[in-house]
Amino acid sequence: MLLQLKNIFKWVNSGGQRIFLLKDINLDVEEGEFISIMGPSGSGKSTLLNVIGMLDGFNEGEYQFLDESVHHLKEKYRSNLYKEYIGFVFQSYHLLDDLTVRENLEMPLLYKKFKAAERKAMVADMLDRFQIVGKKDLFPAQLSGGQQQLVGVARALISNPKLILADEPTGNLNSQQSEEIMQLFKKLNEQDGVTIIQVTHSEKNAAYGSRIINLLDGRKV
Amino acid sequence: MFKLYIKIALRYLFKHKLYSFINIFGLTLGISVALTILIFVRYESSFDAFHKKAARTFRVVQHNQLPNETLYWNTTAYPLAEALRNDFPDISTVTQIAGPVNRVFKITDNFANKNLFEEPQVLFADTYYAETFDMEWLAGDERTALKETASVVLTEKLAKRYFGLSEANYQDALGKTILLQSKDPLTVTGVVKNPKGNSDHQYNMLIPYEFFKINNAYFSSNWSGNYQGTTYVVLNDALQKTGFESKIAAWKKKYLNEQDNKRISYFLQPLEEIHNETRYGSSPGGYVMPKNVLTMATVVAVFIFLIAVINFINLVTAQSYARSKEVGIRKVMGGSRKSLVFQFVLENAFVIGLAAALSILVIKAAITMLNSHLAIIDLQLVLRPVHFIYVLLAAVIAVVLAAIYPAVVLAAYQPIRALKNTFNTGKQGKGIHLRKSLVTFQFVIVQMFVIAAIILAFQLDRFKNGELGFQKDTVVITKSPNSEKTQVYKEKLLAETGISKISVGSGPPMAVNGVQFGTNYRLPEQAPEESLDAEMKIADADYLEFFNLELLAGRNFSKNKEAFDEFIVNETFLKSYGWTPADALGKQIQINEGVATIIGVVKDFHNNSLQYDITPCILLNWKYYLDNTFIKLGDSNYSALGTVQRHWEETYTTGIYDYQFLDDAIAKEYTVENMIFTGFSVFSILVVLIGCLGLLGLMSFIIARRRKEIGIRKVLGASLTQNIGLFSQEYFRLVILSFVIAVPFVYYVAHSWLESFSYPIQPSFWMFLMGGLFTLTIALITCSFQSLRAARANPIKALAEE
Repeated sequence: MLLQLKNIFKWVNSGGQRIFLLKDINLDVEEGEFISIMGPSGSGKSTLLNVIGMLDGFNEGEYQFLDESVHHLKEKYRSNLYKEYIGFVFQSYHLLDDLTVRENLEMPLLYKKFKAAERKAMVADMLDRFQIVGKKDLFPAQLSGGQQQLVGVARALISNPKLILADEPTGNLNSQQSEEIMQLFKKLNEQDGVTIIQVTHSEKNAAYGSRIINLLDGRKV
Repeated sequence: MFKLYIKIALRYLFKHKLYSFINIFGLTLGISVALTILIFVRYESSFDAFHKKAARTFRVVQHNQLPNETLYWNTTAYPLAEALRNDFPDISTVTQIAGPVNRVFKITDNFANKNLFEEPQVLFADTYYAETFDMEWLAGDERTALKETASVVLTEKLAKRYFGLSEANYQDALGKTILLQSKDPLTVTGVVKNPKGNSDHQYNMLIPYEFFKINNAYFSSNWSGNYQGTTYVVLNDALQKTGFESKIAAWKKKYLNEQDNKRISYFLQPLEEIHNETRYGSSPGGYVMPKNVLTMATVVAVFIFLIAVINFINLVTAQSYARSKEVGIRKVMGGSRKSLVFQFVLENAFVIGLAAALSILVIKAAITMLNSHLAIIDLQLVLRPVHFIYVLLAAVIAVVLAAIYPAVVLAAYQPIRALKNTFNTGKQGKGIHLRKSLVTFQFVIVQMFVIAAIILAFQLDRFKNGELGFQKDTVVITKSPNSEKTQVYKEKLLAETGISKISVGSGPPMAVNGVQFGTNYRLPEQAPEESLDAEMKIADADYLEFFNLELLAGRNFSKNKEAFDEFIVNETFLKSYGWTPADALGKQIQINEGVATIIGVVKDFHNNSLQYDITPCILLNWKYYLDNTFIKLGDSNYSALGTVQRHWEETYTTGIYDYQFLDDAIAKEYTVENMIFTGFSVFSILVVLIGCLGLLGLMSFIIARRRKEIGIRKVLGASLTQNIGLFSQEYFRLVILSFVIAVPFVYYVAHSWLESFSYPIQPSFWMFLMGGLFTLTIALITCSFQSLRAARANPIKALAEE
């Protein structure tokens, strides 16, 4: 089992009232799964993704990731954990505007203390695999949205994560670009065995996954 | 990684050109100005410290105890040096100088042309002078150069000017002869380097003291009175100072008469303190840079540096809003807080380093400018290696203060929040209060400078245009080298149409150019110890009318005499005896130079420049010391100047013609105040500039945060002016608050500075208000561009981001 959420609750206090963002979420994810999280706005999709990605905490419940109890871990270990095993893809790509494509890909490797030669090889490999060698010296602003998201996915993959978390990865793309990205995810999942959890609004995109989780008002339905 | 960070920093700087410019420019300015001031301060505190024996060299000063005050003199009776040398053989060295004075020389150059030169800084120095004060000898033997009475040691400058020599052949000057006052031949026995700038011993040439002694036998052997000889002693050990002082105290009665022995006491003043101590004043030829001015300058330097650093903090943290997304991404990609702090500190340090490097160039330019533009002071500032260390130090301080804090704040952003740009709520919004406090602090300093400059301007205006009690416009002063011919000169001039009035006297009503004759006065029946200090002026019968001095009682002089017999005194003089003008008439007064009767009382006029009180003043009808001719030109018709020169040259035949306008001479009395004012004006402008940069940074931050708010307000129908008003409030409040804080500070400082003058202006509230309004206006202009742009932006854009 890759990860397991048990009775997760998350809330905020607002005006003397407790507002639940996540309510009693239980979720088991096996390696190699491709899960789509769906639900209307404000149903807690992104919150759930952030909790899984360890970017956000929760108030109650247990979270096991590769047999580690995340809720017991200190901040530092937690960040080491997600650094090593999790890659993120965002709706608005979140590439660094001041870095070229190559440098954007290299950045996570810098934080993982890879040697220069290794970094170079890994970046070259990734550029090759995504067929963006010709774009390596361009800045994000010089790319189309689809190309930017391609770089975003490449960046998430570069350090060989077990899990990719994608928050509406096609939300800013047109239908053709969306199709390409989803095909890419499918290929990664099927051929490379990468586990993927995506948040999406689109039934069509959700269908790429092997399992769909529906949320409503922070509760699994 | 290091290289990559620098690369990113550079890209960032290029992309945000305005931000980078403001940031680098502001800091460069701050570092440069602060360090230039510090270099100046160091220079002014290092006077005469370079002499090898400086630490144990002392100037002999004297305290002169009068019944109502103590006078502090930096000169002593001439024979003191020799007496000390004879009676205290155990002190290392005693040296004596006279002057520097003005002398005219006739030089025959290599082409047998005879040229006249007037040299302002001719110093008479004995053979011990070269042992006490370090000089660099380019030709001649320092041990013997001043031995022969009729010898002269030239500075490099004069060797060049007189004989066209250069480094290669200064030896050729030795043995050449120059004619002093066209009659005494002096043989060149040495050439020395020009005196260093940071020395109060400024001279163009040295003539043996022996020569002065022979030609001024009376002065140089007279123990009473004060004849401007300066005595220095070198002790074997600086610790002997107090012991030696008490030895002299017991010894002086051997030479001083009973009355002087009671009045006069000698003290030793360390050589290195002379330049910064106002009590005794500098040596003749030098100037004093008071310690408190240097302290003030240091404070100003620190303040300017501080506001530049604050600026940097403001701009960097304001900019961090724009970089929060980057922080979020980097954190999600695995960047630790530490690595982010490192990155941002490095980036900031890089910018600071850039500013520091630039500031070296600016400092160099500033120093060159200062050296050539300060008229009264011959500054010789040089950029030394140690100054690079200052710059480095300033940069390190800036990094500690300005780079680390913003980096820590920035690196602390929570990734999810950072990615969503939700800073309006929660912990991260707090930075705004810090920024506001910093800008307020900056504006406190800005307003302090501006208000101080305004008050200074008014005080200076008082100095320049204040009522002096005498007529000073279109008056030309010429020197009379030969008093016997003055009458002829006067008559010739009076025959000219462009000249309306003429008078001769020892000096104009207000003492200028540092020339003022002092004397002691008492009633003939009083004991000498009861003498009081007064100024004496020798004047002719035209003097009162010429300068429009009003007689309150009595009459004018009739004639100048070999032995004076008439006094005209001022009102202040009367106060010492409690007389009315009428009482004074007919009273006999004893002064050092003789006895005479008061025949007139003149209304008080400013006999001292306006920093100082009016002092008792005695005008007398003597025939001597009528050194100056005062010429009233007919209504600023300067064309008569040519005529004056022609008559002067025709009448006196020897010497070099020189003239001075009285109002110029008076203006010179305020050079120090003028310099302080200029300094404050320049610094105010710089401080305002730096402060505005800080405000600009803050405004861009505020605007960035409130973009959405403006968008919403606009959609709901707010007008352009309403939206701009929204921002104006922000800095309006800050400026008002800083004004309230600044006022008491400035009031206190200005008050205590003005108090040192006898005729201070009263700092009134509207001067402060003027400073406040000025700052507000500048702030308004600075911010209007940005607020206007923000207020005019398309609201859809701001709102669409969510």
